[in-house]
Amino acid sequence: MVIDSRRRLGNGRLRIGGGLLALLLAAALLAPWLSPYDPQAMPFVPLSLPDGSHWLGVNDAGMDLFAELLYGLRNSLAFGLVGGFAALALGVAVGLMTAWYGGAVDAVGMRLADVLLAIPLVMPLLLLAVLAPPSPLLLALLLALLSWPSTARAIRAQALSLRNRPHVAAARQMGGSTFYILGRHLLPELAPLFLAGLAGKIRMALAMEVSLAFLGLFEPGRKSLGQTLRDGIQYYYLDIWWHWLLPPLLCLSLLILSLTLLAVGCEALFDSRLREG
Amino acid sequence: MLECSQLRVCYQEGEHALLAIDRVDLRLEPGRVLALVGESGSGKTTLARSLLGLAAKNARIDGALHLDGEDLTHLSEGDWNRVRWRRIAMVGQNGAAALNPVLSVGAQVAEPLIVHRGLGAGEALAQARTALAAMGLEPGLARHYPHELSGGQIQRALLAMALILDPQVLILDEPTAALDPPARKFVGEVIREQRRRGKAILLISHDLDSCRRLADTVAVLYLGRIFEELPAQDLFAAPRHPYTQALVRSYPRIDAVRDLGGMRGDAFYRMVHVHDRQAAEHAHTIGSDDPRETGHAPEQGCLFAPRCTQAQPACREEEPELLPVGEHLLRCRRGGIVNLLELYGVRKSYAHVTALAPVDLQLRQGEVFGLVGETGSGKSTLAMIAAGALAPDSGKCLFAGREMEDWLRQEQTALARQVGIVQQHPALAVSPRLDVFEIVAEPLRIQKTAGMPESLRERVARALAEVHLPNAPEFLRRFPQQLNQGTLQRLCIARALITEPLLLVADEPTSALDPSVQAKVMRLLLDLQIEKGLTLLLVTHDLGLARKVSDRIGVMHAGNLVEVGNAAQVWQHPGHPYTRELLNASFDLGDSDELHL
Amino acid sequence: MRGKLWSTLTAYALAAVLLLMLSHALLRLLPGDFVSAHWERGDALLDADQAAALRERFGTEESFSGYLSALARGDWGCSLALEKPVLDLITEALPWTLLLMGSAHLLATALGFIAGMEVAWRRGSPLEKGSVAVMSLLDGVPELVSGLLLLLFFSLRLEWLPASGAQTAYAELAGGAWFADLLRHLALPLLTLVLADLPGNFLLARGSMLLVLDAPYLETAQAKGLPPWRVRYRHGARNALLPLVTRFGLRFSLMVTGALVVETLFAYPGLARLLVEAVGRRDLPLARGIILFSSLAVLVLNLGVELLYRRLDPRVCHGH
Repeated sequence: MVIDSRRRLGNGRLRIGGGLLALLLAAALLAPWLSPYDPQAMPFVPLSLPDGSHWLGVNDAGMDLFAELLYGLRNSLAFGLVGGFAALALGVAVGLMTAWYGGAVDAVGMRLADVLLAIPLVMPLLLLAVLAPPSPLLLALLLALLSWPSTARAIRAQALSLRNRPHVAAARQMGGSTFYILGRHLLPELAPLFLAGLAGKIRMALAMEVSLAFLGLFEPGRKSLGQTLRDGIQYYYLDIWWHWLLPPLLCLSLLILSLTLLAVGCEALFDSRLREG
Repeated sequence: MLECSQLRVCYQEGEHALLAIDRVDLRLEPGRVLALVGESGSGKTTLARSLLGLAAKNARIDGALHLDGEDLTHLSEGDWNRVRWRRIAMVGQNGAAALNPVLSVGAQVAEPLIVHRGLGAGEALAQARTALAAMGLEPGLARHYPHELSGGQIQRALLAMALILDPQVLILDEPTAALDPPARKFVGEVIREQRRRGKAILLISHDLDSCRRLADTVAVLYLGRIFEELPAQDLFAAPRHPYTQALVRSYPRIDAVRDLGGMRGDAFYRMVHVHDRQAAEHAHTIGSDDPRETGHAPEQGCLFAPRCTQAQPACREEEPELLPVGEHLLRCRRGGIVNLLELYGVRKSYAHVTALAPVDLQLRQGEVFGLVGETGSGKSTLAMIAAGALAPDSGKCLFAGREMEDWLRQEQTALARQVGIVQQHPALAVSPRLDVFEIVAEPLRIQKTAGMPESLRERVARALAEVHLPNAPEFLRRFPQQLNQGTLQRLCIARALITEPLLLVADEPTSALDPSVQAKVMRLLLDLQIEKGLTLLLVTHDLGLARKVSDRIGVMHAGNLVEVGNAAQVWQHPGHPYTRELLNASFDLGDSDELHL
Repeated sequence: MRGKLWSTLTAYALAAVLLLMLSHALLRLLPGDFVSAHWERGDALLDADQAAALRERFGTEESFSGYLSALARGDWGCSLALEKPVLDLITEALPWTLLLMGSAHLLATALGFIAGMEVAWRRGSPLEKGSVAVMSLLDGVPELVSGLLLLLFFSLRLEWLPASGAQTAYAELAGGAWFADLLRHLALPLLTLVLADLPGNFLLARGSMLLVLDAPYLETAQAKGLPPWRVRYRHGARNALLPLVTRFGLRFSLMVTGALVVETLFAYPGLARLLVEAVGRRDLPLARGIILFSSLAVLVLNLGVELLYRRLDPRVCHGH
């Protein structure tokens, strides 16, 4: 009874979140076709208001804002996806390994996790930015390298309890190799946890990207939702907020919302599975 | 005096509700201990909580609660807080978890003094230390934290804390669980002391031994209803309700000689459907068709019927009331454990040899009765008369309340259906001309039971499965000569039980078997007895065996039933000299005067 | 217990040393040498003399011990862009960041805890379900979004609050007026940071309190007839607080990115904005100095939290 309602709610959230994300993902992927102009092209009248040919107007350098929005969405989302997936992969790998092998592996892994958790994520990224102009890919990977601990902890906790289940012991007794057991018995059970973790990690990487772009740490010409906001806020005294600032804000909010719904929906699902199983 | 009447507690979860306590009446009188026993899920802890006005948010409570005449039923939280601990206190069952881990033990024991009596922290702590010392704990322990104390120390601290305001009523929820014997003894002494001081004590426990020793009255709770209320000394000696009897049997005791019994089936909960939040009175129970499969209590009729050894069709229709029977309060349509078989003044002779002098015997339904004696003592004769296979020369025989003659005259097949017999020599008990299938199917063929829901084949298969024999066609076509003794005896058991009898008479069922097989067959017999709720009359010359399996033992000598009593009683305090002789003989000791167990 | 304390202190000391070593080695991580790498990006052309002079000025050949003694002396280097000693710049900006981040974190933790706790107490009610839903959605919204929205709405549209700075420039205010002005400038950045930090604390507190609510000792407390506030706070909250304390330092670290964005967005003259500008201008000495300083500060904060926790939870000190 209680379980049913939670499940239903979880499913609803998953559907909305998933749908929204899919929409945005499609927009990002199809940006080259959807965008009416080359985002880097600067032939247009700067700071013009939206009209038929420029749906969101033109920015101060003469670039079409709608094109900028689409490509910005594309870049930001790409960063988020790369950072998120890499962080998840690392987190799952470390979580499973420490839970499975235990002993020294566990001790070292968890110690490392403790240390990494204490470091503010943005600091090493800033450090990198100071030393050399960073490529977004490098930054995304560095971010993943620093943010796996929280996922690893969660996965490890679940994996530890799964490890002691009879069906795992049976597989071991049957002679299954480590990878076989991990792949066939543990991974599927942990799947909902992955999704929740993945959504969370993508969200974090995305937030990091727009924040760093807003701070101007990427190349000036790179399109990003954060970059658009950075450019736009300088002209706050003009009446540009509704076509320059609001669209990227909205876009970003929708992205974050969809990821949050996915994460929360997955957790609810996992919870109900936990209770039934 | 704390009194609750028609107390009903229902946990609501959406449209359905879990009925935890159903119309329970209890009285806790000053200077008396009431023990509440029951299995997990019977509602004991819910009851304890309700007496303190503590219930989960989703619990609906109906009924009345009175303390010294004062109505506590609709008290506000503020008013309850003036009653709690001051007049009613409780020691919970969670041990160390019942104490706040971040506060010192002394601070927690002193807390009621500060809150209820307005004492200053220093003085309260000093009194707390005194209270702890009274429980045998050194005062220095007050500064320690719960995780630093042992289980026994925690229990003493909890007791000290409960008694600190000297309440009128004390509720103890499983006070002796997980404690070692010395700690248990200490808790018992505390209870006795508080009883002397005039407190009303509710002892919730499944330690039946403690209940018997410490309580005045015992109430037996099953699925939220009281099924029997009896004086504590009768708990082991003379329980009247089948459930109480089964509980006692399932309980390991130091002085019991019988192996653990058991009870068939499980029942965990009662779900009710509540039409709306206000009208819980209109709730009706819901459940599946077969309670045994889901663990749900039956929808109507007696709650215990599915597991009862003596349930009749009428039992499943109407729920019985709690009525006085002698000194007990009993909830049973049949007035408690009934006698399945009654023999009065039964006599039998064979050509001037008296096989049986006048013998009186009652078999209680659902029990295992061990009839012990040497060869020629008349035990087999008695057993056969009991089974209705032999007619006595004189005397009265009653089976299920009806005269045996009546049965034999009018419904012989009906009687035969209700009695199964297993004899000593399996090879002789079966016809060498019949194969396995026919042997087992024979009773059904004779009965010509019309309107059988299943085919003969299915019933035979089931009977064979119950005795752990295969159902393969090759096996079914075997003849007795091809089978060993153990298998044959199992076959006989299957045959005896295929008609679902009430009474099983087993005459030396294992003595002709190999020792290695004896235990297995005996084990099987006993498991079946529990599973089906059979009444088992076991005839044996082996007192040791009888002791291990029987509820009651009867000793026969030269045609007389010289002693009958509880197995433990007969074993430890044999009354008749012949019994003592038998005991000594089985121990093979020389000096009979010194033997006393 | 004594032993454990020493091992903790040693661990922290070790971490601090590691930080210092990393900070010292930073310059060597650059490809080529620092001077050419920096100036090559700009339009200025250097001749050999200038380059040599610069190399001497921003010498990279100092030893680790030399570095340490320089730090101890208060010589944290000199900012390339602003031409002022790094330590001076830090001490100028530090109070503002302390004010902003410090009060934001304390407020968010305190409010989040109390709200989470009270909501858990009312478990199952519409209030609880609603607030959990709202907080879950709010959690993860970046400071950029909330900050911009607040800025646009309260500052630019309604003009209730100033858009930038920590105090009105050249205003020469004193006493109460100065304080009020301070608060007006603090309001939006503070609100942004609190909005970002609060949901996590709330959810954590609620989760922790729910566990406590199911604990047997809470029922004992109720059975003792204690007044509700005492049950809730002395027995309930006191235990529910522990996970929050443990994570106080961690949650502070999470706030750093937000602080960078907020101080930049609202042009708040704190350490974070200083750092962002330093990074943007490739002002390595300043950036290095700020990062070292803040890392050490976070380390000290975590150590303080751990010591505090030992006092709060007797199970740690007296062994298990």
